[in-house]
Amino acid sequence: MIPAAVEHVRPETLDEALDALTDPEAKALAGGQSLLPVMKLRIVRPSVLVDIGRLGLGGVQLGDNELRLGALATWDTLESAPELKRPSLAALAGCAAEIGDLQVRNRGTLGGSLAHADPASDMPAVVLALGAEVVVRDARAERKLSAEKFFLGPFTTALAPGELITEVVFPLVEGSGSAYAKVEHPASGFALAGAAAHVTPDGKRSVAVTGVGAHPFLLPADADPLDALTEAEIYGDRFAPTEYRRHLAGVVVRRALDRARENMEKAA
Amino acid sequence: MPSSRTVGLVVNGESRSLDVEPRTLLVHALRDGLGLTGAHIGCDTSQCGACTVLVDGRAVKSCTMLAVQAEDVEVTTIEGFAPDGVQHPIQRAFVEQHGLQCGFCTPGMILTASDLLSREPDPDDATIRRALKGNFCRCTGYQSIVDSVRTAAAALREGDAA
Amino acid sequence: MTESVIGVARARVDAPDKVTGATRFAADGHVHGLLHARLVLSPEAHALIQRVERNAALAMPGVVAVLTADDLPLTGAGSDRTTEPLARTEVVFAGQPVALVVAENEAAAEDAVEAVVVQYEPLPAVVDVEDAMLPGRALARVVEEEAGGGDMESIHAGVDNGQEDGDEEQLSDNVLDTVHRSSGDATALLETSDVVVSGTFRTPWVYQAYIEPQVATAWLEPNETLVVSTSTQGSFVTQRELARAFGLPLERIRVVAEPLGGAFGGKLALMEPLAAGAALALRRPVRVVLTRAEDFQATNPASAQVTHLKLGARKDGTLTALTARMIVDRGSNAGWGVEGITTLLVAGPYRWKAHDIRGYGVQTNRFTFGAYRGPGAPTAAFALETLLDELAAELEVDPLELRLQNAVVEADVGVSGNPFPRMGAVEVLERIREHPLWKTRASLPADEGVGVAAGYWPGGTEPAAAVCRVNQDGTMTVVTSAVDMSGVNTGFAAIAAETFGLSPDQIRVVAADTATGPYSGASAGSKVTYTVGAAVLKAAEAAREKLLKAASEELEIAPADLEVVDGAVRAVGSPDHSITVAEISAKALRFGGRYEPIEGHGGSAQTRGAPSVAAHLAHVRVDQETGEVTLLAHVIAQDVGRALNPALVEGQMRGGVAQGIGWALFEELVHDESGQLLTSSFLDYAIPLADRVPDIDTLIVEVPAPDGPFGAKGIGEAPVIAAAPAIANAVAAAVGIRLRELPMTAPRVWAALEDAQA
Repeated sequence: MIPAAVEHVRPETLDEALDALTDPEAKALAGGQSLLPVMKLRIVRPSVLVDIGRLGLGGVQLGDNELRLGALATWDTLESAPELKRPSLAALAGCAAEIGDLQVRNRGTLGGSLAHADPASDMPAVVLALGAEVVVRDARAERKLSAEKFFLGPFTTALAPGELITEVVFPLVEGSGSAYAKVEHPASGFALAGAAAHVTPDGKRSVAVTGVGAHPFLLPADADPLDALTEAEIYGDRFAPTEYRRHLAGVVVRRALDRARENMEKAA
Repeated sequence: MPSSRTVGLVVNGESRSLDVEPRTLLVHALRDGLGLTGAHIGCDTSQCGACTVLVDGRAVKSCTMLAVQAEDVEVTTIEGFAPDGVQHPIQRAFVEQHGLQCGFCTPGMILTASDLLSREPDPDDATIRRALKGNFCRCTGYQSIVDSVRTAAAALREGDAA
Repeated sequence: MTESVIGVARARVDAPDKVTGATRFAADGHVHGLLHARLVLSPEAHALIQRVERNAALAMPGVVAVLTADDLPLTGAGSDRTTEPLARTEVVFAGQPVALVVAENEAAAEDAVEAVVVQYEPLPAVVDVEDAMLPGRALARVVEEEAGGGDMESIHAGVDNGQEDGDEEQLSDNVLDTVHRSSGDATALLETSDVVVSGTFRTPWVYQAYIEPQVATAWLEPNETLVVSTSTQGSFVTQRELARAFGLPLERIRVVAEPLGGAFGGKLALMEPLAAGAALALRRPVRVVLTRAEDFQATNPASAQVTHLKLGARKDGTLTALTARMIVDRGSNAGWGVEGITTLLVAGPYRWKAHDIRGYGVQTNRFTFGAYRGPGAPTAAFALETLLDELAAELEVDPLELRLQNAVVEADVGVSGNPFPRMGAVEVLERIREHPLWKTRASLPADEGVGVAAGYWPGGTEPAAAVCRVNQDGTMTVVTSAVDMSGVNTGFAAIAAETFGLSPDQIRVVAADTATGPYSGASAGSKVTYTVGAAVLKAAEAAREKLLKAASEELEIAPADLEVVDGAVRAVGSPDHSITVAEISAKALRFGGRYEPIEGHGGSAQTRGAPSVAAHLAHVRVDQETGEVTLLAHVIAQDVGRALNPALVEGQMRGGVAQGIGWALFEELVHDESGQLLTSSFLDYAIPLADRVPDIDTLIVEVPAPDGPFGAKGIGEAPVIAAAPAIANAVAAAVGIRLRELPMTAPRVWAALEDAQA
């Protein structure tokens, strides 16, 4: 399968890329692991690809209070980065390691995946549970979106036309633990149900699920997560009916919470 | 219709220039443009791994990369994996450990194994199996492939010249 | 004496080319002036074609033609995939090729496919195979076509359809074929049996999932010979099919079978009529290479099947009778179905005192049925081997002992009415009985279990020939026209080496095409080693006779007193008195030479099949929370006759088991109620991947086939057959649930666990 005809530009700088993205028919191309497959299926037909792959936005910066991940950080980078080998960020590395396969992880990027917003993709749950902010820019300005406000529906985000994700910023909580748990679709490898959990020493917890609804979502902090799932709108399909998916969501939520707590104990 | 353009590729250590459309996938550029047919096309969905090549030493599905994205980076295909005509220890292990039957998946398997072994010189079987998840084989049941990768790892650790 | 090369593991002869990318598969060859074709597939499951609007596509850059059935020079009668490679007036499944866009490159063809507009008049889609059988139901095909005359069925497993009888049910014309096998009064015997179990079993359409998509390239030589270079299991059968499609004499068609990137039954004359038709119509070379989505939709997977089965036994464990009603969904395949073979194999490798088995081949608007490794066998084994386990439970006997007690031995009469030849059913069951996994199964952790099952494949036959030619340098070239699907060429090298007296390294095996090669049937039905291998053996013997005759003159020693060792002929008992094969060959192959070329031709015409039987142990863990089944270990014991090359035999055994794991846990082609395929990519259709297949312990059992080369028999199909029921029985052992439908996906297992608790 071959994509429909398209133009390709490779700007030298971020500003040039943002300029090129003002074309409403343009699409940013990073690692291409989400975009090229849908272009081959001709579901997506941009007129021009703005190749941002060489803009150097792939950094991992660990500060005292926050972790900043460049939009072009690959899954492979997240899986193996020494900065992420800590209990509070275990969900990030653990999730990255479960995405796709070795080749896909070599090219697939954090920003590309978030912008693609497949409702069954894994990392959005982690981004939500860890309370990250998504930094986006267009040709005029930069803004920060909370992860909770970023995912709006299947393949739909709060990104405005012309906007590009540049960074994702994760707040660091001393002594916390996190984890990601999933049951994968046996064919696609995407989450039939995935859950990310983040627990902190003061007893707070944050849990997000993916693969079970129109978009990944946070479970309410003030309710029992399993109760919240019985109320949630859960997708069913031929392979995994609603009842099963709801049950599965409960299983992965519990597993993610258990592992997050284990990780927190390791931190202590 | 967007016109084709000339891109410079570095394939198997040689600089090559090729006329491609921007939409041309790397696998088509390699196969149709350069005659490097060891990269095979087995699925549409970036899953089967038969088209795997090395890009700067890392395994990549060449059906999910545009030729223009490969401009000026080092691409290694199975044809260039053992440049002097002597089998690489991974290739030798696949021959000796019966790591193939129809052979359609084999180039991709070998190149993915190369990426794995460049980072994990002594992987256990579970690690090997996990690394090969993006390389489908319908013939072997995988066990002989895992045996091949494990054998190759040992040979490489013992300094078997590549 | 030289050490025997039979029974010794050696690398495949094709391995060096395959690890270096030197092997040219059928999509790889460069052809001057090649055009590329893409298919326009029907989105309708059942419809009449009203109009094909092609002008917009023709106006696009690079597009050479948009061809419909009328544009192809088809002459054959019938509506099979050979004679009607593009639908003429009626489409009978979603995904059926309707038109072919031919362009200067693949991208242009793909672009133009979107611009071809086909108008359809929809007809009722027949998708429920059981309902379709009822009198008065809508038909899956309404336009009458004269029947064709293909010979696809005999390629896979030539079995007869039992007896004709008069007590015909009232059935719709969707029922294309009925089979009835009976002996004794099975119903009465079941009524008097101490224990009776029964069930209805459903298995889905399953895809061969070869990694190389279907591909064929065709062109006309200046002398009007049609050359077809293709990924096929059989060159001569493809040649015959093309002659049937286009009314050409055989001599005008040359089929070249390229190295095969997997097939498993699915690659026989599907693409070649398309490529050849386009090449004949356009008089330019045309390649049809399917995308995976096209391959999922437009090819020929294994039938879905519904099996109603009832078994009985006496208290002492003796099996009494079985009755079966087996409904095979043929999709659009009017030519053949697996109702003949599945009604035979549902009896398994066991003795029955009476049986009454009915099979129905039913047309629907789903796919075109095709062969897949052991066609009709895994479906039958799933039903039988599940119920045998239930029978054992009712009888409170060991399920393996129950099978052993009733396993067939030589001369037991099967449901075919013919006696079984020697086959190691008892031997393979005894081997797995001794395996530690079976012996320790009582002490497994919670949620784990071990299951057992067995199944056999009767083995095919077809006459075949081979040539062994000694070259001037003393090496040998073995020529056959067999397609190397499973490593047979490596086996041929060993057979020729052993027979003639060379090392396998000195033997090159080449596959010839239909213009030049000795006859060989398709690589299907587990018959190549058994038949072509036997021909190679005779050819090597014939060459050896010529060698000894020449050597006898050179050494002045009678042929009977000569032996061939390590590439030299020498006097028995006097090894210094010798001459090399190369020296003799050089004396023959020269101007004025004195000896006939050292070359032999051999043929075989096996008259009895050599069945192969396999028994399995599966060890699973069931995650009761998610329903996921993890296969932790698998053991297979198979009677292979004689393992010419144990490494390759083990490869076939493991590969078959892996596909059986797919049947058991993952694989299912699904249509919606209107006949639309919902699983047309590997994103929806799961096959076993490296991290889901455990180590598979292989136990080779050798019960020699009397007519096979060195006792070898065909082994490719047997290992897939009973893998799924072994896994199903392991799931039952682990968590006490029995699924009557494959695959045992996590949602299904979870639902069954919920039901069991309720």
